[in-house]
Amino acid sequence: MSAILINEIKNSIQDRGLVFWMFILPLLFTVLFNAIFSNEKVGLANHDVSASIVPGYAVMFSFFIMISMVTVFVKDREKGMVARLASTPLPSYAYLLGKWIPHVAIVMIQTTMLFIFGLMVYNIPFENPMLIGILSIFLSFTTTGLGLALAVSVKTENMGLAITQLVGLGGAILSGLWMPIDLMPDIIQTISNFTLSLFTHYAVALPIGWVPLDLKSILMSTLLFVIIYSIFWTGYTLYYKRVESSMNEFLDNKE
Amino acid sequence: MLAVNEITKQYGEKVVLKNVNLTFEKGTCYGLVGPNGAGKFTLMKIIVSIITDYKGSVDSSLSTTSLKEQIGYIPQDICMEEKRTANSNLQLFGKLYGLKGKVLEQRLKEALTLIGLKNHGQEKVQTFSGGMKRRLNIGCALMHRPSIVVMDEPTVGIDPQSRQQIYNIVDDLKQKGCTIIYASHYMEEVERLCDYVAMMVHGTIIEEGEIGEVLQKYTQPSVYVEGEFNENEFGTLGTFIPKNAGYLMQTSEPLKTMEKLIQYCKRNSIGVNRLELARPRLEDVFFSMIGSQLRD
Repeated sequence: MSAILINEIKNSIQDRGLVFWMFILPLLFTVLFNAIFSNEKVGLANHDVSASIVPGYAVMFSFFIMISMVTVFVKDREKGMVARLASTPLPSYAYLLGKWIPHVAIVMIQTTMLFIFGLMVYNIPFENPMLIGILSIFLSFTTTGLGLALAVSVKTENMGLAITQLVGLGGAILSGLWMPIDLMPDIIQTISNFTLSLFTHYAVALPIGWVPLDLKSILMSTLLFVIIYSIFWTGYTLYYKRVESSMNEFLDNKE
Repeated sequence: MLAVNEITKQYGEKVVLKNVNLTFEKGTCYGLVGPNGAGKFTLMKIIVSIITDYKGSVDSSLSTTSLKEQIGYIPQDICMEEKRTANSNLQLFGKLYGLKGKVLEQRLKEALTLIGLKNHGQEKVQTFSGGMKRRLNIGCALMHRPSIVVMDEPTVGIDPQSRQQIYNIVDDLKQKGCTIIYASHYMEEVERLCDYVAMMVHGTIIEEGEIGEVLQKYTQPSVYVEGEFNENEFGTLGTFIPKNAGYLMQTSEPLKTMEKLIQYCKRNSIGVNRLELARPRLEDVFFSMIGSQLRD
């Protein structure tokens, strides 16, 4: 496995596209959107913006590792490298690990770089580094795991790129990573809340076996989740509407 | 010795190999020929363990190590890291077979010398010509000194010099006692390099054996002549078929036919520009057995 691992690390170091997507672009976006959202006209305190943008972009850009993984695996498959390696004594798991581990490391480096950048340039609060470290490790395995699943499922590189953009950027908007959540319209905030709740539900439900890993079960579970979420959402909305009107009534009577 | 026994392979309903039996003797080169879709590629993928779900067996009595360690597979595609140097690629494949340290370095030098890239080890593969890439592709499969080498059309799209170099590599491997399985569409190449040939059509072996015997079995020697005459003039000498600028006659007694032809021309004062014994060719056998129609 070490031969494939070392080879992949060397390839990653030489890959300019990877350096751009994983390291340069996140830094540029962090600086750019910090400047935009910190503008006085936007009306948010500078400290809050950085504290939202830096971790948000660390998560969002970690999904871009999927692009690199799709490229690596699809190219290997297209040029016949996978078949050729299958003729050698290299076990298939060693090939998979050898290609996967460097990408896990890249995401960890990227996340660390963004947090250090945030700490040094924007002085973001960094109160529990241990927890952030553990979450970063989970994040690395999640995004590269998704990348691996995508890389072995898609037939072409372009298909992989399109799905990554959809998951990365679309997911970032819906999850409130793209910009501070307070700036978004109510409907987006609600979708963001729903998406995060759904992600959390599956992050727990799938590993412990509440929901079996098949399409029918996932669809049924999602439907059930939507119904329960809608009931709670409607209940809370009605409750707060009533609180709001009673408070307004109280103010009117006071005047 | 390597043997494939009763190999059958299906993709869904489609049968791509049907009860294929072949035996490859040590130190010989075995040519696999056949039109596209004949099953050569699938058979090679089974031999090199890329395909593992098939009926039948692949047996080797060469040594006790696993078959994968004995085989060097040279695919038709250039399967290498193009942005890396020739040395890096060779080292990668060497390491996959467990080579390291001084042994790895020694094999690296050996391979570079064998493939004629001794002075190009530090250059990136993307700067190589097609022929250099093909030779490096071969070198990668030879790092571990395999006793069986499977080559899938290794001379596609390269210049005559590189092709000659590859022929030399094959000759060298044969001399070292290596068993070679060589798939190609170039019949003259198979004739030049191989000791045995197997012809495949629709997943079955329709003919196999020592090349000389196959040629003898399916073709007769021919006499080729070019001169100032037309075919009606040959009279009782036999039937001559027009070919290129002259005529070709198949005969079991080529020397006698040539002698008669010379006498006939002398008697009738006919000028002869060219008269030669035409060697039977594998391509003629191939066309006579498989036909010359295009296949989809």
